[in-house]
Amino acid sequence: MTKKKGANLPWIIVYMLPLALFFFAFFIFPLAFNVYTSMMKWKGGGEMTWNNFANYGKLLHDDTFLLSMKNNVIWALSQGFIQIPLATIVALILARNPRGWKLMRTIYFLPNVISTVAIAKVWTALYNPQFGVINGILNALGIDAGRNWLGDMSTALPAIILMTVIYIGYFMIIILASIMNIPKELYEAAEIDGATKIQQEFRITIPMIRGTLATAITLAMAYGMRHFETTYLMTGGGPAYSTSTMGIALYLKMDALRYGEASAAGIILILLGTLVIVAIRRALGKSDPMTEAAQ
Amino acid sequence: MKLSKTRRALFAGLVLLFALPLFVAAQSGEIVLKWPCIWVGKDSKAPAIAEIVAAFNAANAGKIRVEIEPQPDYNAYEQKVRTAIMAGMAPGDIFTVKLNASTKEFYTSKLLLDFNEDLTGDWRKSFDAGAVTQSTIRGKLKTLPFETAILPIWYNGDMMKKAGVAKIPATMDELWSAMDKMKAAGMYPTSQMSGDTNAWTSMIWFSWFAVSNGGPDVWEKPFTDKAFVDAAKTIKRMFESYTTPDAIGAGAGVSGGHFLAGRTVIFSNGPWYAGRADLKATTFFPSITIAPVPPTGSYKNIIISRLQANIAAGATADKARHDAIIKFLKFLTNKPNMAKLAEVSGGMYAVNAGFVPKDNDLQKQFYDMADKGYETATDLEAALGAEATLEFTQQLSALALGKITPEQFCSLVEKKIDR
Repeated sequence: MTKKKGANLPWIIVYMLPLALFFFAFFIFPLAFNVYTSMMKWKGGGEMTWNNFANYGKLLHDDTFLLSMKNNVIWALSQGFIQIPLATIVALILARNPRGWKLMRTIYFLPNVISTVAIAKVWTALYNPQFGVINGILNALGIDAGRNWLGDMSTALPAIILMTVIYIGYFMIIILASIMNIPKELYEAAEIDGATKIQQEFRITIPMIRGTLATAITLAMAYGMRHFETTYLMTGGGPAYSTSTMGIALYLKMDALRYGEASAAGIILILLGTLVIVAIRRALGKSDPMTEAAQ
Repeated sequence: MKLSKTRRALFAGLVLLFALPLFVAAQSGEIVLKWPCIWVGKDSKAPAIAEIVAAFNAANAGKIRVEIEPQPDYNAYEQKVRTAIMAGMAPGDIFTVKLNASTKEFYTSKLLLDFNEDLTGDWRKSFDAGAVTQSTIRGKLKTLPFETAILPIWYNGDMMKKAGVAKIPATMDELWSAMDKMKAAGMYPTSQMSGDTNAWTSMIWFSWFAVSNGGPDVWEKPFTDKAFVDAAKTIKRMFESYTTPDAIGAGAGVSGGHFLAGRTVIFSNGPWYAGRADLKATTFFPSITIAPVPPTGSYKNIIISRLQANIAAGATADKARHDAIIKFLKFLTNKPNMAKLAEVSGGMYAVNAGFVPKDNDLQKQFYDMADKGYETATDLEAALGAEATLEFTQQLSALALGKITPEQFCSLVEKKIDR
């Protein structure tokens, strides 16, 4: 007996409805409200008044907000193209099962289970110009190191990015899992053909995990685009906005009761984030040979 | 599906058990007032506030109960208040607000109770009239002045002695000279900072300079005025030569930490800092002297003061709840309770409690300074609001690093002032 077409529709609706309602209440509605308030002059307490696109205009003519946008792009690129290559290199080494590789895997992953606040506080102490370990080491090496790493406009942003990109554990695990799934026969055949280890990595491993790498880069860049907490905790976006991101700019607008501008900053962040992610997916978005092989 | 009799009885029992408290609360007629409160945990006011609330609840048992919702993080608390009001809800039946040029916006909200009709007679008389006027905006009194502060500078007397500085500097020349001696003795003269959202300790210094240069109404002038440019030059000099290497980007914890650890000689903060247990535990605590910043301009007898915390209440159409709120606030601000609060916390208040500090010499210095008849002026944050203060904070780093001139600094801040 064949079921009538669409007979399952009521059940599909019943099963989908709870999640759809949550999605509407906690994503679609806030997003729509954000778009609406981004075109309002609203200081939180009183009435909203129609402000057209003035909030967007104000932000896009504000040098500090433009700097925040630039910093967001720097964050996204550094996460995607420094952190992921580092994670890939470590995953490639660990995939060869060197002595103690399981311990190393755990050590690399460990920072991912530590609170961001704790890590930010530790690094703030490490960078301290008077008592920090970094200046202490530089002093011991005979390098004059009185630098205030987080208080200098030229070093603050690189200092925070550096401390973030070295925490590769999360992406290393994803990439390592992908490498582990590559059929061993491919390497055996390559060895018989006389391929060196390096050649095997470049000719077999990396092409085979291309899809995973594209996903990892996309995720890392998305994390970079929405970056907020570490910088806020370490510098509050300073000195002189040099480490500010759009997330921080948004938060500070709310702090100053500029809710209309904060909403506009949120919308610009979503648009810029989408643009960057779509561009990177286009650039990297080739099909995954592992998936093709499975099919 | 059929349930057995036993299961049905068990189910009914459970429903009753969970519904009973709601039923009892509804029948008892007790009014529960929620107070999201910052004065909890390690805050110097916490013990006195807890005692006052407990006494009120005991005296009004079964009728009114005040429930404190602990909010130990200051920034998170302010965020909660802002977000709740923005979302159309009062943050609690009772809550506190730092009244400044930005938060005055809350007065446009219908969520806050206007105290004008309630603050009458003896209750009104018990408040400092100036503070009530400062808290009245466009005829509305939507917050009651509560905690006030004067913001002098603090000298570590022990360190001054070691540096060979015999007396508190009375002029800027004396201050520069004293700070040179401190440097020569291997000390950092002042605690400065350009971090957080208000560069608190340095903002206090700057406010003194600006008010001394331009008078108590200086904040009404454009920020490009000479009074501010000169103040910017002075604070830049402080950062360049007379503070710790980590001052740029440092937060209030770092700035205060240097003073607590005896690394800096001069500090700036309000009276509540005098109630800190870690400060009282230092060996130099008895040697601390507070004083006005020496005048940099022609205005000499002005001190910086502010409304540190005002009390607000949620507006309600329920007369019984409204009366309960007022009853509690009258109890909170009666003379014995305010005296207790002042004694325990070291803070200063807008209610005339007739409290005179005895044992704590530092607290007495604050009261003495407040009673000296100085003219008062407010600080930058209170006068210009959050956005201008944030710009001041961020550009202070650029100024201190020499990336912008004092004129450029003032011009950038001026752009963010919402007049």
